[in-house]
Amino acid sequence: MLSIRDLHVQIGARKILKGLNLEVQAGEVHAIMGPNGSGKSTLASVLAGRDGYEVTQGSATYLGGDLLSLEPEERARSGVFLAFQYPVEIPGVNNAYLLKAALNATRKQRGEAEVDAFEFLTLIREKMKLMQMDESFLNRGVNEGFSGGEKKRNEILQMAVLEPKLALLDETDSGLDIDALRVVATGVNSLRSPERAIVMVTHYQRLLDYIEPDYVHVLADGRILRTGDRTLALELERRGYDWVKQEATAA
Amino acid sequence: MNSAAASPVAHYREVFSASALRQSGSAHLREAAFARFSELGFPGPREESWKYTSLRRLEARRFAYADRDPARRAAPSLPAALAPARLVLINGFLRADLSETDTLPAGIRISATPTDPDSDGRLLRVPSGGGTERFAALNAALCPEPLLIQVAANVASDAPLHIVMATVGDSPLMSHPRLALRLASGSSLRVILHHVGNDDAEHFINPFIDVEVAESARLDLYRLQDTGARSFHIERCDATVATDGRFMLRDAQLGGSLARLDVNVALQGSGAETEITGLFLADGSRHFDTHLQVDHRAVNAHSLQDYRGIAANRGRAVFNSKVIVHPGAQKSVARQSSRNLLLTPGAEIDTKPELEIHADDVQCSHGATTGQLDPAAMFYLRSRGLSIAEARSALTRAFTGAVMSRMDHAGLAALVRDRLNARLVNLLESGT
Repeated sequence: MLSIRDLHVQIGARKILKGLNLEVQAGEVHAIMGPNGSGKSTLASVLAGRDGYEVTQGSATYLGGDLLSLEPEERARSGVFLAFQYPVEIPGVNNAYLLKAALNATRKQRGEAEVDAFEFLTLIREKMKLMQMDESFLNRGVNEGFSGGEKKRNEILQMAVLEPKLALLDETDSGLDIDALRVVATGVNSLRSPERAIVMVTHYQRLLDYIEPDYVHVLADGRILRTGDRTLALELERRGYDWVKQEATAA
Repeated sequence: MNSAAASPVAHYREVFSASALRQSGSAHLREAAFARFSELGFPGPREESWKYTSLRRLEARRFAYADRDPARRAAPSLPAALAPARLVLINGFLRADLSETDTLPAGIRISATPTDPDSDGRLLRVPSGGGTERFAALNAALCPEPLLIQVAANVASDAPLHIVMATVGDSPLMSHPRLALRLASGSSLRVILHHVGNDDAEHFINPFIDVEVAESARLDLYRLQDTGARSFHIERCDATVATDGRFMLRDAQLGGSLARLDVNVALQGSGAETEITGLFLADGSRHFDTHLQVDHRAVNAHSLQDYRGIAANRGRAVFNSKVIVHPGAQKSVARQSSRNLLLTPGAEIDTKPELEIHADDVQCSHGATTGQLDPAAMFYLRSRGLSIAEARSALTRAFTGAVMSRMDHAGLAALVRDRLNARLVNLLESGT
């Protein structure tokens, strides 16, 4: 589904990703872990199409096409979803409007009719229940005045409504207490399916207790230095990241 | 007669001399008003209140005075009725045949005659001061039929009165509509003032709105300036508010090529309150200029000035809001906010809040910002599949949200949104 080859990315003159390779198949859940500043969020941002990042080398192929040449909205409509580390507050644009506009944009891309009001409400109610969100959220401004936990739940709600093919979760666990983390994990787990791939970027292995990855990658110095299964995350939790870097340097 | 060669004031003098108004019962008032206009003339380049707005184009134009008969015969396409009660003025003349006032409660008196029924000159008064005194004077000299609406004491009308001021003609016309709204104590009235016009010619529209709100009365004035795209529109609204009275103005400045609005509110009695809120959209090559002034002249009076300005393309806007707290006006509460959005490079908005305080026990706040759409919010919306145009349109509508929510007449608010959206879609889909 997603194939990243030798990706080099810089912000201004600062090189962040230095030859990153990653293969993700449909149905898989990948966790990308790494120390602060290793380029985890840069990877998520570049894949979603955020401005300010320059790809100097390499490629990212999504469903057989060049992902990096698409505009952010084209990526979204073709099934790429980024759950933001810091969801943006947008007073005056309400959640219901955004959800509906986003859903219709995706449906239009798939050649489907726009969702009608009844269908939309039925769908939203079901997903909001899953995310334990009150219906009053719908009429509030996007993320306006939301607590950290509410913002993250809102990201997963959007994801549940849009049903992306490739979900990128950028530090979705940061700032969450244990109850909120459980709700968010339930939402993400409900989306696990053979047609969908999930790539989670995280600093701590705590999230992985709730969402079990098929693969764990260590990203440091702009490259993936090691790939393993769930036990690698536990080892990182115990030993930190330095040993991975040292082994990589020695090799 | 080659009036194009004459000076601008001389051109208006010719028009004034030729008009039948000089023979009416109010001739002396008309003469005095015209003399005041001649004395003040057009603003010079160094006049502070016209610092960013040049009237050279207006000065150079020659407009025919709108006559009664064509106005009586015209069958313009009028906007849909926003309320059961409606008054239609064509080029300053009241058209009873297009108006409907039967639904208004008894106690609301409406008249439109060239002479002053009070015969005390109040109806044709020239308000003093400000950059638009000259135009209010010109209006007093040339308004064909001042429209006077009087609401008797304690009469309350919940359903609004929709006043359409249309300026229509194939060639450039000048029109000087005048509206006096007098609310006696304890009364209330809602008025939608709706300016429309045709795009075929450059008209000069020069309305004056004279408001008197007596003790404990309340006027809600909703204004939609949606006149012809090539017109010059210079409007002045002066209001006095007595003890515990309220004057609420909800404004949308959308039409015209060059438009100026001056609003002057005097809070005369204790507990008087005013809110002047609105928005403008200066796209294309429009030039909009808004000057607000609130005078706190009594204790415990409250005021709010809150505008959202949008400019795009070669659009330019000027926003100047002023509060003066006079000596002795203790416990005044005054809030001013001006937020402005530049949608494209090249657009410009000059905003200036001013506060002059001559009392010590007051609460005043002001803020002014000018900026662009938030790139983080743009990316967020696009990352959810919205196109650039959709995202910009959503954020622009959100920007006007706070003042739109104060426009608490659903029909008008919907119309303003439609007009705004249509223009934004054009603007945002054309790129940049």
